[in-house]
Amino acid sequence: MISRRNFLTTVALGTASAAALAACGSPAPAQTGSAENPVTINYTWWGNDDRAKRTRQAIDLFESKNPDIKVNGNFTDFAGYWQKRATEAAGGGLPDVMQWDLSYLRDYGQRNQLLDLGTVKINTDAFEKSLLPSGQIRGKTYGIPTSTNAFAVYYDPAKLASLGIAEPDGTWTYEEYNAFLAEVGAKGNGALFGGTDYTSIWWMFNIWLRQNNIEAFTEDGKLGFTKDDLKKWWNVTADLRGTPALVSEERVTQLAPKSPFGSNVTATEATWDNFMAAYLGDSGAKELKLVPVPSDDKDNLGLFLKPSMLMVASAKTKYKDAAARFIDFMVNDPEVGQIFKTSRGVPASKTQRDGTTFEGTDKLVVEYEKSIEKYLKDAPEPPIVGFGTLEASFKRIAADLNYGKLTVDSAADAWFKEAEDLIKQNA
Amino acid sequence: MTQSPTLSRRSSSAPVLRKSKQRGADARAGYTFLLPWLLGFIALTVGPMISSLYLSFTNYNLFDPPKWIGLDNYTTLFQDERFLQSVGVTVGYVVFGTPLKLAAALAVAMLLNSKRKGQGFYRSAFYAPSLIGASVSIAIVWKAMFGDAGPVDQGLSFFGINLGGWVGNPSMTMPMFILLTVWQFGAPMVIFLAGLKQIPADLYEAASMDGAGPVRKFFNITWPMLSPVIFFNLLMETIHAFQIFASAYIISNGEGGPAGSTLFYTLYLYLRGFSDFRMGYASAMAWLLVIVVGIITLIFFRTSKSWVHYSGDAK
Repeated sequence: MISRRNFLTTVALGTASAAALAACGSPAPAQTGSAENPVTINYTWWGNDDRAKRTRQAIDLFESKNPDIKVNGNFTDFAGYWQKRATEAAGGGLPDVMQWDLSYLRDYGQRNQLLDLGTVKINTDAFEKSLLPSGQIRGKTYGIPTSTNAFAVYYDPAKLASLGIAEPDGTWTYEEYNAFLAEVGAKGNGALFGGTDYTSIWWMFNIWLRQNNIEAFTEDGKLGFTKDDLKKWWNVTADLRGTPALVSEERVTQLAPKSPFGSNVTATEATWDNFMAAYLGDSGAKELKLVPVPSDDKDNLGLFLKPSMLMVASAKTKYKDAAARFIDFMVNDPEVGQIFKTSRGVPASKTQRDGTTFEGTDKLVVEYEKSIEKYLKDAPEPPIVGFGTLEASFKRIAADLNYGKLTVDSAADAWFKEAEDLIKQNA
Repeated sequence: MTQSPTLSRRSSSAPVLRKSKQRGADARAGYTFLLPWLLGFIALTVGPMISSLYLSFTNYNLFDPPKWIGLDNYTTLFQDERFLQSVGVTVGYVVFGTPLKLAAALAVAMLLNSKRKGQGFYRSAFYAPSLIGASVSIAIVWKAMFGDAGPVDQGLSFFGINLGGWVGNPSMTMPMFILLTVWQFGAPMVIFLAGLKQIPADLYEAASMDGAGPVRKFFNITWPMLSPVIFFNLLMETIHAFQIFASAYIISNGEGGPAGSTLFYTLYLYLRGFSDFRMGYASAMAWLLVIVVGIITLIFFRTSKSWVHYSGDAK
């Protein structure tokens, strides 16, 4: 029997050793695995069921080709994704490999949360040289693009035909696009709206700035445009708000997370070209088409290829080599291209692009990116620290504008106040 | 802890020194058994609270070490329009939601207090919503019910009322959330029921003899006899209402929309901390909430003297 003194000592010793164990963690694991004893890396992504299915397929393929590595996959939707990453980063436990968005690259890269992928072996020979800088910050590569996307205006040809409206050819000014939206709204008779207010999308604003030769952000992390620019932009659709040309913000909120276009409530929508598969799935339409965004300067459409997604690794990963091999596989392997088609965007690596057969709607997306090639400018560098927050508040304030809670002037004031506060915080 | 009589009688024969030794050993054993809870309390409650108090005076973005900025977070709060909006939304919810919920709980408790067939079934049926109330699934169901062309919209349009969906309409989201909380009246209802059972039946009988009607009986017997329970429920539900988060997060897609109409205090706190990486600011908000809830509790206790009657009180 244990005496009381012994019991106390045992408890004390036990507690101390448990704490000590917890502090060191398990003994340092081997950096590489073998087929009998594989290492496990965690991979996380955002997306819907469709992407989850494709990703599982890709992971299975990777595991069969690399028996010494196991991939533990996990996904959430886009909104919850970043809050989860913030919590993990604060606790020092980011997953080994992650799907990433350009909006958040600087926040994490600049704060040493991401692995410098230049220090590991990833083949980028088959990538366009103009695309890679969008994954780089101050000369270090933090993200490798999986694929590219470009902005476009989607429309549903069947819906236009039923209203007796001619299909657009994509050479239009903002005024012409607005007139088109108004015509659809008038003939749609409450059942079909022209489109969603495109001025509430940050990236459309960014494209408009580029059409006017204004940089969105300066090199030292400040805003490159003025409050007047923003007011001008939000005034572009001022006459359309509250008319059938644009779907009401109320409906947009009701339909979320589906878009009004995907829900067959509007005839057009401006967004990234890789939404094709999702829109077809949501709307059940037979065919959707893409044309370039409007521009008042027909030689400068302000368009660019953006990495639709990037692959990054955690700076704290214990398995740098395994993580690098998985990233390399996901961005370069031709069979992975076959699995994803254009659902992540058009594959960024030429080997992957060449190894993939694009048919039907996937072909439309690839052809769209080819058709705008001559207008493409360099992709923007990773936006400033805190850009994710700025983009979200842009959307929120534009929504308030559509609810009629704010005027264009007060909306621009509100956004600038938040942006300046954020830039000051992160300076 | 007081020693049991047998123990003190046995030890009274022993020298004084032995007695104190025994007491020390008892204390040690006591603390040993308390240890797991104490460790948890210190590591998981006191520690985080102290560090959050510290962080509330800093600029902390989760990645870089916190920078001391004194009271800046607290002063900027009051120039932050979204903060003020979140206070307005939350206060509106507490002020309208809590009394309605308690009224519903009391009304149903009184109905269920009388003897009827199938009483057990009704009690469980009314209690069930509050069991599953905090869950994510209820928020999703609620969103679907009040959404565009949802059952509520269709039901109302059957009666010729065309409000459209409530979820996207900034002036209808608050009624929707209040309905959600009122519907979850089960927990206070059970407590009211227990309180009602304590009221002696002969009081009602005597009142009937004197010709008192139901309204009279309610205000002269039920209300004063039940007042400690009402006070308890009011306090708990008010504190609880200030902490609404999960349903607001789900129904508004974590954004507090439309037009900020569901930007509850805790939701904005969460967004500040985990979306905007401003943990110092969020900590300041958390401490402000602690202080305000503390003050409200204090006011409740102060005013309770005039309307809460305990059985031992002299009238």
